[in-house]
Amino acid sequence: MPPRWALLLRRREILVTAAIMIIVAASTAAHSYFWASGNLAFIFADSVVIIFLALGESFVMIGRGIDLSVGAVMGLSAIIVGFRIQNHGMTLLPAVLLGAAVGIALGFGNALLVGVVRLPPIIATLGTLSVYSGLEFVVTNGNQVDTIPSSITDLGSHTVLPGIPVILLLTLPFVLISAWLLRYTAFGRSIYAVGDDAEAAYRAGIGVQRVVFLTYVISGLFAGLGGVAFLIYTSGASSTTGINDNLTAIAAAIIGGTALTGGVGGAFGALVGSVFLTVTLTAMSFAHVSDVWQPAGVGVLVLLAVVYDSRSRASQARRTPRRRRRRGV
Amino acid sequence: MTALDLPRRWRLPGWGTCLVIAIAAELIYFTLTTRQFAGHGTGMLDLTEQFAPTGVLALGLAMVILTGNIDLSCGANASLAAVIAGTVLAKGGGPVLAIVAAVAVSTLSGLFNGLIVAFAGIDSLLVTLATQFILTSIATSVAGASPPFGFPSAFTLIGQGSVNDMPIALLVLLVISLMVIVAVGYTGLGRSLTLIGYSPRAALYSGIAIRGSLTAVFTLCGAMSGVAGVLLAAYYNSAQPQIGTDLLLPAITAVILGGMDIFGGRGRIAEVVLAVFLLGFLSQGMLIEGDSSLSITMITGLVLIGALVIKFAFERNFRQQMRARMHRLRALSWDAHG
Repeated sequence: MPPRWALLLRRREILVTAAIMIIVAASTAAHSYFWASGNLAFIFADSVVIIFLALGESFVMIGRGIDLSVGAVMGLSAIIVGFRIQNHGMTLLPAVLLGAAVGIALGFGNALLVGVVRLPPIIATLGTLSVYSGLEFVVTNGNQVDTIPSSITDLGSHTVLPGIPVILLLTLPFVLISAWLLRYTAFGRSIYAVGDDAEAAYRAGIGVQRVVFLTYVISGLFAGLGGVAFLIYTSGASSTTGINDNLTAIAAAIIGGTALTGGVGGAFGALVGSVFLTVTLTAMSFAHVSDVWQPAGVGVLVLLAVVYDSRSRASQARRTPRRRRRRGV
Repeated sequence: MTALDLPRRWRLPGWGTCLVIAIAAELIYFTLTTRQFAGHGTGMLDLTEQFAPTGVLALGLAMVILTGNIDLSCGANASLAAVIAGTVLAKGGGPVLAIVAAVAVSTLSGLFNGLIVAFAGIDSLLVTLATQFILTSIATSVAGASPPFGFPSAFTLIGQGSVNDMPIALLVLLVISLMVIVAVGYTGLGRSLTLIGYSPRAALYSGIAIRGSLTAVFTLCGAMSGVAGVLLAAYYNSAQPQIGTDLLLPAITAVILGGMDIFGGRGRIAEVVLAVFLLGFLSQGMLIEGDSSLSITMITGLVLIGALVIKFAFERNFRQQMRARMHRLRALSWDAHG
């Protein structure tokens, strides 16, 4: 039996948090401004949108699906809500509700295609990705959202404590609720069951189709909320908003320990994965690495996470051969 | 004996037939509604220059998808090839050197993907997701602040020139299509790719070199991305670092619309080629009609979803009919013996 701390290290959330701390410490040692409250607040505010997207993506990926359309849903929600705020003076609470409604409606489209028509998730969400990003263009009709009142954008720039922006505090409840849903409710556990082995889940009496359906609706909901967060943080939106965020969200979820093969992962993983991505990218620009190399940074991190994952799973399989091998290859 | 009065249902004809009918309908529609579309008969051929790179990319991708894998990095790989070809030309290299360098680099990145997928045993979706990001960075970095443009006409001829009204890009696409059709349908490699996609375990037990075949197919896909990148650079006469990345989704769409099973093992390359032409003419026709490229994206997505819903519904229906027929047969034989 390995010591307790080694077991802790096997939890991905804790490992990634440790990595975040190491990067922050190293960057602070090199540039003292890194630890400044302004920079920390920037990092957190910068990662909020990805946190929302990765949260929704986690639900889908734990259930062994994939949602390629989260970025487009986020962008569409940001545009629709943004125009309401800009042209009709919508306030924050209705804006959040509208964003959630848009997200749920678009998530419903994915859910129908995957859960009812039973298209393979990668095909269905690829199709809706095209449709939703086209809709973004149709809705904007050449205009863009650029005047969001400061009463709303202040949430993204103001801080409660030094280094903690308001928007992060508004995000944390969603992470906690997701963690509770996934860990302590029958619905959450059945997502894991479906992702681990849909056949076994079906025979155990779980409504597999219903669970899969709901994961896509939830993914849409969080992407819709992410759109509102995007408005608050960037105070604008255009027809190309979110087009490149689909894969980043998946990358954040994977770094946070959610496996593409389903049945593994969690809400806190999405949180630390997203923060880790932003911290690393900020540290890279502090180290005078050109912005051009930021995508490569994301790519290398994903590769590292995946290689680490397969290693640790292989060693676990060696230790507990019977239980693990059941999952089959 | 009582005559069995089986209800007759209309069944979907072969997927290839559906695609041919759709292409014909589309061409007639656009010819009637838009005067520029047919353009003295050769206009339609000129339009193919625009989507030939997507087609080449889709063919490489189709082979990877046939094995049950996917290559998300092929678009970024094409960008890299375009940028490298452009840089070599800008530095004063000849067209041949530029093409060779571009295709070689893309082939190497494909080989890299293949080696990781085949020997580290990591899901190709994850590997190529990562390499997609990395290749994008490399392409952007090589292109620099002012990407190369304005190439010698010997090079742009590949993308814009034509022989007897036949665009060279279309010729390249057709030649590569033929090669892939033959490679997949009539060679040992093609059969092992199909079997790997159909059942990796069966492929393993029948002694197929799975790792070798996977490495080969990713390398081939890389090489085709390189060709697509060269075509792109030649057509646009410039090498923007995003030039190929935008083609990833259209290419995947074409492969899936071509009836290729995303889980591998089923599908025909010829039908993918048909789907390439279907989607290509659709988007070109709509562009000429004056639609914006993003609403075309939307229509493409709707076409994809609609086609697949129909296809899946009919296939399931067909399977259910077969099962019902089997039941009836069994019941009949029971009567005969009982």
